[in-house]
Order: sequence, then C-alpha cells, then structure tokens
Amino acid sequence: MKKILSLLLVCVMLFGLAACGAAEKPAQTGAPTPAPTEAPTAAPTEAALVVDTCILKEADDKMRNTYTLLAVNPDAPFTDADGNAVSDVAVNTAGADALIHWMLSQEALDMAGNYGVAEYGEHLFYVKDDAPVYTGEIAPATEETKTIRLSTTTSVKDSGLLDDLLPVFESTYGYTVEVQSAGTGKAINAAKFGNADLILVHSKSQEEAFVEAGFARVVDGFEAERISFIYNFFVLCGPSADPAGVADCDSVLDAFAAIAEGKYPFISRGDASGTHTKELSLWPEALGITADAASFADYTDWYISANAGMGACLVMAEEMGAYILTDKATFLTFVANDGVME
Amino acid sequence: MGSALHKAIELILSADAELLNILSVTARMSLQSSLLALLLGVPLGIWLGACRFPGRGVLVVANRTLMGLPPVVCGLLFYMLFSGVGPFRHMKLLFTVKIMVMAQVALITPIIISNMETYVAGIAPAVRETAKGLGLSGWKTFALLCNECVYQIISVYLLAFARSIAEVGAVSMVGGAIAWKTNVMTTAIMQYTNRGSFSLGIALGMILMATSLLVNIVISLLQRRLSR
Repeated sequence: MKKILSLLLVCVMLFGLAACGAAEKPAQTGAPTPAPTEAPTAAPTEAALVVDTCILKEADDKMRNTYTLLAVNPDAPFTDADGNAVSDVAVNTAGADALIHWMLSQEALDMAGNYGVAEYGEHLFYVKDDAPVYTGEIAPATEETKTIRLSTTTSVKDSGLLDDLLPVFESTYGYTVEVQSAGTGKAINAAKFGNADLILVHSKSQEEAFVEAGFARVVDGFEAERISFIYNFFVLCGPSADPAGVADCDSVLDAFAAIAEGKYPFISRGDASGTHTKELSLWPEALGITADAASFADYTDWYISANAGMGACLVMAEEMGAYILTDKATFLTFVANDGVME
Repeated sequence: MGSALHKAIELILSADAELLNILSVTARMSLQSSLLALLLGVPLGIWLGACRFPGRGVLVVANRTLMGLPPVVCGLLFYMLFSGVGPFRHMKLLFTVKIMVMAQVALITPIIISNMETYVAGIAPAVRETAKGLGLSGWKTFALLCNECVYQIISVYLLAFARSIAEVGAVSMVGGAIAWKTNVMTTAIMQYTNRGSFSLGIALGMILMATSLLVNIVISLLQRRLSR
C-alpha cells in the first residue's frame, strides 16, 4: 500500500515539475496583450507576436449589425419533428414581456450603450437612434412566470453584455433568465421547437421569415414583432500583412471581391448564424456562394466553411493567416482574452 | 500551459461562486448518472453473460452496437423527445440536470453491460462447475458469481464515471449549458474556448483531471482492499 502511495506522489510531483518547466517559457515572452489597434495598416510588430489577425475593414454602412428582440407567440403553428401540429406549447409570455420591457427601458439601453467602454476603451454596442423606449410598468415575477428562457446569438453572450445586464433585471424583478446561446439559425430553431420564450438575434432575413411564419407576437407597448434596439459593426479581419490589400479597398464589397479574386484563404462560419448570413450577402454575385455546400464546392482551395462558433473560427483564421468576418464585440473580447494558443 | 496552471490554482483558491456551482453540477450529474447506469447495467450484464437462452446473441450484438451510439445523436434524440413540441413536453425536463442524467445513463449503460457480459462469460463456466460440485442452489450460484465480480464491477464503475464526467456532446445539447443551472465542466470549457479564454479552459480541464485523479485513487484503494 505504501509503495503505491509513494509512487503516486512521485508521479504527481513529476507532472508538477514538467508543468512548471513549461511555465518558464511563456513567462519570458508573455507580454500583456496590447490593446487591439484600430489602425488598419500599421499593425505594430509587437502585437503581431500575440494576435496577428487584426481589423482591416470596418464602419462600412454595409457592415451594420443590428440586434433584434422577438417574443415567441404561444399560438404559433408549432409542429413536432414529424410535422404534426402541436397546440399546447408552454411559453412564458408574461416573463418574456417583462424582460423585453426592461431591455427597452432607458436604464438598460444606457447600460448596453456604455458596455465595454471601461474595459476596451470603446463602445461594443450602440443604441439605435430609433429604438423604442419603454416607460411603463414592468411586472415583477410570480411563481409561474419567474423562469424566462432566452435563446440568443453567441455574440451578446460571449462579449459579456448579457452577464452585465441580466443580473440587474433578475435582482430587481425576481426573475431567473436561462440564457442559451448558439448561432442565430440555431437560436431561432430553438424557439420553433418551443424551447424559448424570447429570442435575441441578428439576421434580418431570418427574423422576417420567423415573423412571417407566425412564430412572433407583438409585445404590449410596441408596434411591431421585431424590436431592433442595439447595433454594432461587423469587421473584416485578416493577417496584418494583408496580402489581398483589403484595407485599401473603397468598400467592403470590393474587399470581398479582392479576396475571391486572389483566392486568399477565408474562414466562413458556415453555421447559418447571423455572421454567416451577413458574409453570404457580401460576396460578388457571380460567385454564387450560398449556405448550400454545393455552391462553394469549386472554391474549397480558399473558401473554408468551418461550421463552428466565432471563437473557433477566429483561431483558425489566426493559424492559417486567413481573412474572416466577425462582429466587433466578439473580436475585441477575443483579443482581450489572449485569444491565441501559446 | 504554465499560465493555465497558475490560473487553475488561482481559480481553486479564489473559490469563485460560479466555478463552485459548475463543480457541484458536474459532480451531481456524473455521480448520479454513473451510479444509475451501474445499477441498471451490472444485473443485465451478469444475466447476459451467465445465462444461455435463445436470442442472447442478438441482444449482445444489439448492445455492442449501442455502445457506439454517438453522444450527439443520443442528445438529439432526448432533445427531440423533451422539446417544447416533443411528445414528453409536459414533463418540462429539457435544460435540467435530470435530463442530462437520463441521456448519460442511455450512453453509459451499454458500455457497462458489455464489459460485465464479457467478464462474466469468461468466469461463468468455472463458477458453475464449482457450484455444482458444492451442490449449491441456483440463487447461491448467482451470489457466488456476483462475489467473483466485485473487482470487475469497481473497474467498470470507474469507466462509467470517467465517461460521464468527460462527456460533452449530449449534455450540451439537452442541458443547454445554462449558467448556474446546467453548465458542467466540459460545456464551460467549450464556452471559454469560444470566448478565446484558452488558459481558463485549460485551467478548468486541469481541475477536471485532478478530480478524476482523486476519484480514481480512492476507488483503486477500495478495490485493492476488497479484492484481498
């Protein structure tokens, strides 16, 4: 018995030594991540050691990324996996109303608009000028309505926005918000399967299809099903050397055309997310790239459909020196988190 | 890796409330599912291994096929069944620890059955002969067989526990990785990776391995003592 124990101890110690030995190396080069630079061309060499991928093209009107809240309609034409109608799907409408009312209150809008300024030195999200502001009463939680299921896109969760906002709402009104984050396509599907009370997504075409199919409802105090309230910008990122020269292109459309022209590697999310939908709309029409895998079968030497989350795709882009479209909030958070393997 | 080790130690020392919650959900889920699967799988495995009856071969092959069930498929199945539009929607189990345990049991039980079946099939003839020589009744033969299996059962339990603590595909699908509720170590690691916090992910992975090491040490010592 004693022999075994001492053997184990030796193993643990060896493991510890090996790990500490490895610790020495990054400690020497491990300069803190420099703040992500805005300058498209002049990426400092020091930054290149840590994260080479940088923002090359941004603040183009085409790159606006608008986030929309939609409340799920309990009387929507839900169907099960076999296509049979299901009528009694449980949806917490009162809870969804309360959360939407609060998200559109001046307090929450101010918090969202100022999120990230302290940490990243710039706004991660902006409040839309024409966002409807709710000034009425917000119903506190009851036993039946206290759990709210929010299905949302990864960017608002991974950038930390929801972790910043929701605790205030929860502690003031007594609700518990269960956040499920996935790409916009998946988030919308979760609602269609009756697994969400409201959704927060960013893909206009998919939202409109959702409304048209009767899955959304108008919340008291608002005029339309789609409540667009905050936005930020998609940014085109790539290696700091920028072989395709996208930073000098006049518009983002020209930039995408230049990437396709030169067949420079490009990482596509490929997962029906809002970012993926946006990217598909930016390629030159002649290429005919759509969500269908057959449409880019001829471009596989440079167009990489990763079918993965934003973080995983950013790692791929960094490793391959590829171009990538991402929302700015996720990119800044990713870089600030030291988003590169040592 | 070095900074990850520091972060892991820092994380444990800070006793961060969310980390503690993740740890407790992970422990609850993996202990419950591995024990339930053991309770189901061991009797079935001994039965399949020791008894000879028509159709046994079919059952064994079916069970071995189930061993290869991809976790995501299992997760998807449970997701569809317990979805808001699924047939079991009224039970309101989706995105709870309970359904994570159920999915895990479905994944692990075939592995336990198969392991027990293989082992018991190997020792059953000898045990049967001994029992016949001693003139033992059917039930006593069974008890003798179970007694011979103790060492194997503990090994199989470790396998079940390791499988359930390390699983990610099924639990992320049916559990939804909801913070403070169904977020376990593996799904948390996935989230951190997506945010680019690799070292935090590795730190959590180290804590996971350390937990696994502890459980293994305790159970291996127990196994040694029992088999003496």
